[in-house]
Amino acid sequence: MRARTFAAQFMLSVIAVGLAGSARAADFDWKKFQGKTVDFLANSNPISQALLTHKADFEKLTGITLKVDTYQEQQMRQRLVTVMNAHSDEVDVFMTLPSREGEQFAAAGWYADLTPMTKNEVAPDYDYAGLSPALLKAATYNGKLTSMPMNIEGPVIYYRTDIFKKCGVDQPKTIADVEAAAKKVKACDPSITPFVSRGLKPALPYTFSNFLHNMGGSYMVGGKSALCSPKDKAALDTYSRLLRDYGPPGVVNYSFPQISALYRAGRAAMDFEASNELRTVMEGGARLKDTAIIPLPAGDGGQVPTTIGWGITVSAYSKQPDAAWYFVQWATSPAVQKLMAVQGIAPPRSSVANDPTYRKWIDEQPVRKEWQAALDVLAAKGTSEVGYPIVANPESREFIGQAVQNLILKQKTVDQACAEADKGIDALISQK
Amino acid sequence: MAEAADTTAQDRQRQELAALSAPAVIFTVAMIAFPLVYTVWLSFQSFSATGRESVVGFANYARLISDNEFWHGLWVTLVLYVSSLVLQLVFGVWLALVLFHSRRLSGVVRSLFISPFMMPPVVAGLMWLVILDPSLGAANYILTSLGLPPSDWLASPTFVIPTVALIDTWQWTPYVALIVLGGLQSLPPSVYEAAQIDGASGFKTFRRITLPLLLPTIVTATILRSVDLLRFFDIIYITTQGGPGDASNTLNIYGFRVGFEFFNIGYASALMLTLTAIVLGAVLAFNRLRGAVVW
Repeated sequence: MRARTFAAQFMLSVIAVGLAGSARAADFDWKKFQGKTVDFLANSNPISQALLTHKADFEKLTGITLKVDTYQEQQMRQRLVTVMNAHSDEVDVFMTLPSREGEQFAAAGWYADLTPMTKNEVAPDYDYAGLSPALLKAATYNGKLTSMPMNIEGPVIYYRTDIFKKCGVDQPKTIADVEAAAKKVKACDPSITPFVSRGLKPALPYTFSNFLHNMGGSYMVGGKSALCSPKDKAALDTYSRLLRDYGPPGVVNYSFPQISALYRAGRAAMDFEASNELRTVMEGGARLKDTAIIPLPAGDGGQVPTTIGWGITVSAYSKQPDAAWYFVQWATSPAVQKLMAVQGIAPPRSSVANDPTYRKWIDEQPVRKEWQAALDVLAAKGTSEVGYPIVANPESREFIGQAVQNLILKQKTVDQACAEADKGIDALISQK
Repeated sequence: MAEAADTTAQDRQRQELAALSAPAVIFTVAMIAFPLVYTVWLSFQSFSATGRESVVGFANYARLISDNEFWHGLWVTLVLYVSSLVLQLVFGVWLALVLFHSRRLSGVVRSLFISPFMMPPVVAGLMWLVILDPSLGAANYILTSLGLPPSDWLASPTFVIPTVALIDTWQWTPYVALIVLGGLQSLPPSVYEAAQIDGASGFKTFRRITLPLLLPTIVTATILRSVDLLRFFDIIYITTQGGPGDASNTLNIYGFRVGFEFFNIGYASALMLTLTAIVLGAVLAFNRLRGAVVW
């Protein structure tokens, strides 16, 4: 009798919670903040460009006016630093890169805590559980969820199948194969740049980190910088040698605009760049039929691709965080991420990745299938460690970039370059 | 009595003028003084990547002295300043003479000559970044077509400073030329008539008459360009971001990165105030020189 009463009570409480949940969902009203204006600080990259093509849809759905301030990435951060240091409410929502500044901004208290918002004020079809757990974890600091993922991305190799065929090169299966392929292409066709990737100092840690992890290296060991460990030195040597011996002239100034332009123009055989450069690389259609895409092949450390995602978040100083959250959840909803997916922005949701419309878009071109297959590897095996896992991550990237550039320009030996970097980074670590 | 009444009326007029212009003066002083005072205050603070920490007195300035990057940045700034200034003054005077003497040049040609300095520095930087790309740029294409070896231009630690100096010279020579042209047009024709009567050659006329008389104008142009060149930023930020390595890392670029990328606002403020002091020192020095050469 007591057991039956307990079971009944238990069932009643379950039903009550369920009813409360569906009552909350049923209560959800997109027009709740109609008439308000939300200020959005965006980074001008393919992700925001894809999102903002649907800006009018958001405004029509909610009645909220969206004011957008768009800058190039570095200028966006500078504006953000100015606004946040002043504790200003002029920005309600901004884009953020947790792998770069997440720890820093979280420690500075610049992110609103999105955890309660994801529970209390969310549309019934939002599907929070469908978001990539890895990306949500990467955006969580001290138990607080600080941003919602907008995309999933990482560096992949775009390579020319026709040049490989002409030069008798097979698809690389290891990092050593990548170098061997570059060597063969150089001998076969000197007019083509065999390999291009980032050489610009602040930008190269993004691509270098994949080499480091695949070759079994690690930025920190025992709380100290480990760039002079054997595996880290091997990674520095390999990455810089690929760019120095097989990269284009002037590679030390190359970041994604120059790299994508070179590959799209047909002047490079292998391009190791971000997966969301797909749209840029395929612009004009010249590379649609002669490009294959793979993640960076395994090294001694296996295959540990760099996997990051841009996030969108609410400012801790916003005077209307709830209205701002409406924009954030709309921007990261399954429906909107589906629309962005067919513009080449890889979705951080498996439901969208398996959506029939998206799959149809993927199946239209073989290169898109390969792109998705590479992204599946990134999603399954990736790490979001780009640069040192410390609060001063952006400053740590300077030392990594300087070490690689010293080697590309033959200004220092590997031992000298790594020692100088270790010294600088250990000083940075000890400041904390 | 009449004089006393006049003096009172003048005093009243002066007071009225002061009262009317006071809001504008107060606003201007506030807009200049407040940021400066606030930056000085910031330079005595320490900031970490997560925000303001504490008052540290002169520690940021002491750090400057032992910071190799500061001295390197200062060296790059001075090399760029001297090379760019010399080129712009020489070519600026030459262009001014061309524009002054070639009265038959059409307005279109004149406009083309002076158009570079009307271009925003960001646009100029992006344009030259594309032209000087070692793989895809027109510059190397032209060089190789002429049988000459290509260059790494902005990607070469050796050539990056001369290349940036040339880009800045391309953009700002017309500005110097316009200032010097104004000076040329104000020179008294009587000295040239006297020189002609005395049978002086063109070169002697230029060396003994035109150049000395133009000195005040040239010094004015030097002052105006010095303020910009010592704060060299736009072209470098767009094209190299201080690279390759730190070969083009001027003081302004370094301070900007310390402040806005590493969030060390305190040290960045100290760096920028030091640069401001250098610029002010240069302006004061050239002002004294101007006083010495005025005729």
